[in-house]
Amino acid sequence: MSSRFRMTLPVLTTGMVLTTLTAFAMPAKQDAAIAPQAVQQTASTSKSKDASTADHSKFKELQKNFKTGPEVTQACLICHTEAAKQVQHTKHWTWESVDPKTGQKRGKKNIINNYCTSPISNEKDCMACHAGYGWKDSSFDFSVEKNVDCLVCHDTTGTYRKLPGDAGRPVYKRVEFPKGSGKFVEPADLKKVAQSIGRPSRSNCGSCHFFGAGANGAKHGDLDSSLQHPGKYLDVHMDEKGLNFTCVTCHATSSHQISGSRYNVAAAVSGPAHIRGKTDESPASCQSCHGDKPHHGFMAILNQHTEKVACQTCHIPEYARDDIGTELSWDWSQATTMGPDGNPISRKDSAGRRAFDSKKGAWVWDSYVIPEYRWFNGVSTYKVIGDKIDPSKTVQINEVGGSPNDPGSRIWPTKVHRGKQPYDKVNSILTVQHTAGEDETALWHNYDWQKAIGAGMKAAGLKYSGEYGFVNTEMTWPITHMVAPEEDALSCAQCHSKNGRLKGIEGVYMPSRDSNRLLDMAGWTLVLLSLIGIMIHGGLRIYTSKKKGQNK
Amino acid sequence: MLKVVGGFIAGACFFGVLVYNFMGSMMFREVQSPFGVEETVARIQQNIQNTGNGWALSGLRNPGKAVEADGGNTLPVLLIEACSTKYSGPILKDDSVRFLSNLMPCKISVYKKNDGKTYIGMMNAGFMGGMFGSMVGETMSHVAADQAKFIQFDPSKPAPAMIKGTPGAGASGGSGAGAAGGC
Repeated sequence: MSSRFRMTLPVLTTGMVLTTLTAFAMPAKQDAAIAPQAVQQTASTSKSKDASTADHSKFKELQKNFKTGPEVTQACLICHTEAAKQVQHTKHWTWESVDPKTGQKRGKKNIINNYCTSPISNEKDCMACHAGYGWKDSSFDFSVEKNVDCLVCHDTTGTYRKLPGDAGRPVYKRVEFPKGSGKFVEPADLKKVAQSIGRPSRSNCGSCHFFGAGANGAKHGDLDSSLQHPGKYLDVHMDEKGLNFTCVTCHATSSHQISGSRYNVAAAVSGPAHIRGKTDESPASCQSCHGDKPHHGFMAILNQHTEKVACQTCHIPEYARDDIGTELSWDWSQATTMGPDGNPISRKDSAGRRAFDSKKGAWVWDSYVIPEYRWFNGVSTYKVIGDKIDPSKTVQINEVGGSPNDPGSRIWPTKVHRGKQPYDKVNSILTVQHTAGEDETALWHNYDWQKAIGAGMKAAGLKYSGEYGFVNTEMTWPITHMVAPEEDALSCAQCHSKNGRLKGIEGVYMPSRDSNRLLDMAGWTLVLLSLIGIMIHGGLRIYTSKKKGQNK
Repeated sequence: MLKVVGGFIAGACFFGVLVYNFMGSMMFREVQSPFGVEETVARIQQNIQNTGNGWALSGLRNPGKAVEADGGNTLPVLLIEACSTKYSGPILKDDSVRFLSNLMPCKISVYKKNDGKTYIGMMNAGFMGGMFGSMVGETMSHVAADQAKFIQFDPSKPAPAMIKGTPGAGASGGSGAGAAGGC
């Protein structure tokens, strides 16, 4: 009876444990079942160009020899009557974004970043990335529909290019670019481009978003031209030989409004994966396809992390995971420093990336960068033009919101870009400077900060005291692209250790990182007492067996 | 007597454990670099070219590329290959130690770790050479002295450009690597 009981008890216990574990695992499996379906369906849409019901080369309206971009737009609007109006309500047109929670106006038009600083007074160059034609100064009329640029997002030929210096107009004549380089850009055949339009590809979006701040990969850290033809290692979703997602697969669009933006980040989406027919508030989020319990089987324990840790934290172990790299800092204070002969100079770093230019200052780059982690609730408060700063401290271009006590916050990976940029010493505001252009006040033409700041501040409608200095700044960017394959996600010990990735994160208890002295002492006391007990017990057994032997 | 034998065995075991634990760090060295991966590589390459003694670059390999091609990720790692016929020649001519050719060309690896810092890894040529007789030992002691010069940096000098590919052999890390490097 006794031996039977000894066998039955472990079997029963094991059975109960397994049943309990299975019961816990079941819901995760159900959630996960939705995700692949959604992923497959979304992946297939990336091939929709082949499946288009319209061959634009057969449209009469597009059989013309277009001379300008606006002419093409007018032809597009004959059928797509509402398209321009829709675009005119987007950030791609207004370069403005309103914080839905605070009402603060942000966007390139309103903030001074620590890269190129501000487009104000530099529109002719910066608007090469505007989805429009002719924004050369503050007189630009945002209501003219024909000035909406359809082709920059919908060209599939790869021949349509807009260069700095022409206020967003495409190349109409063969032009040397960069000036003096001996390289030439050919004008696009607008008729051919108009007849070959399609859904935006990675190259369309990337023509601006990969090259922000004037160099490949400079700005975001998780967006550069390597994503035009990415391998699985670089981005498991965009993998050209795999799922082959384009940008708009995740950044699902409605009425030309692109979902997902660094200005309004879906930082803490919960609930199951997106279901067809149900409005998805945050289609550009991991949870949209994967749900908030994406791990199953024996990995289901990781689902406990999703309430505190963003998916990106583990699944993007490093950003700029290629040779292109990303810019970590931009020091404007070194701009206008000339070479030994008094002429402007430029220098590259060991990897061939820009390191110094008399026009722009000095940069530091790196690749395979370990992110900086912080609590983030998706809302950043930006310093906008004219906001007061405290030059005795490092100025935060954007104050990242979020805290461990906020249920809408998660631990996020970020890129922090460090800058040193000009400010008005008397008025304590960041300055707007006129950099681009060939006129007498342009910094890149005359290398005179005083004139450049004067012209920039005037264009921005700001008072300038005439005294400028340079202040340290930081700008924080959430990292969300370049998702690595699951095998390359962070391992437990990379965070759960004393000097792990999350060593600076406060407000959350992490086993192996955190410890309680009293609790540890109690634990080790128990271990010590157990050992002593074992030794006493063993000693007594030996002693009694020896005594028994002597008695025999 | 038993105590002496027991003590000897215990001592031998202790020594064995000690050697086992420290052998790895004796055979190879790792030092932190004050620069990023590319700049460290470029400065080492420049140092190799300036060291003399017949040293020449024979290639720059990126073992991480193969992992990437297989869909995986590694933190950056670059292998600088260099060779000096002055040192390789005598070893290659001696049948008894010619098997040491599998250690040629001389490699210095530059890599980033999870702490975000850049490190330099290299063979401890002086220690290793001593295991293979006097001729190899002496040759490798010279190699070790030169290796020390390879990783001496002067931060006041501007960062040179990294030399990609294999001098004289075309593609990076190609099968012809080494021809121009003399090994």
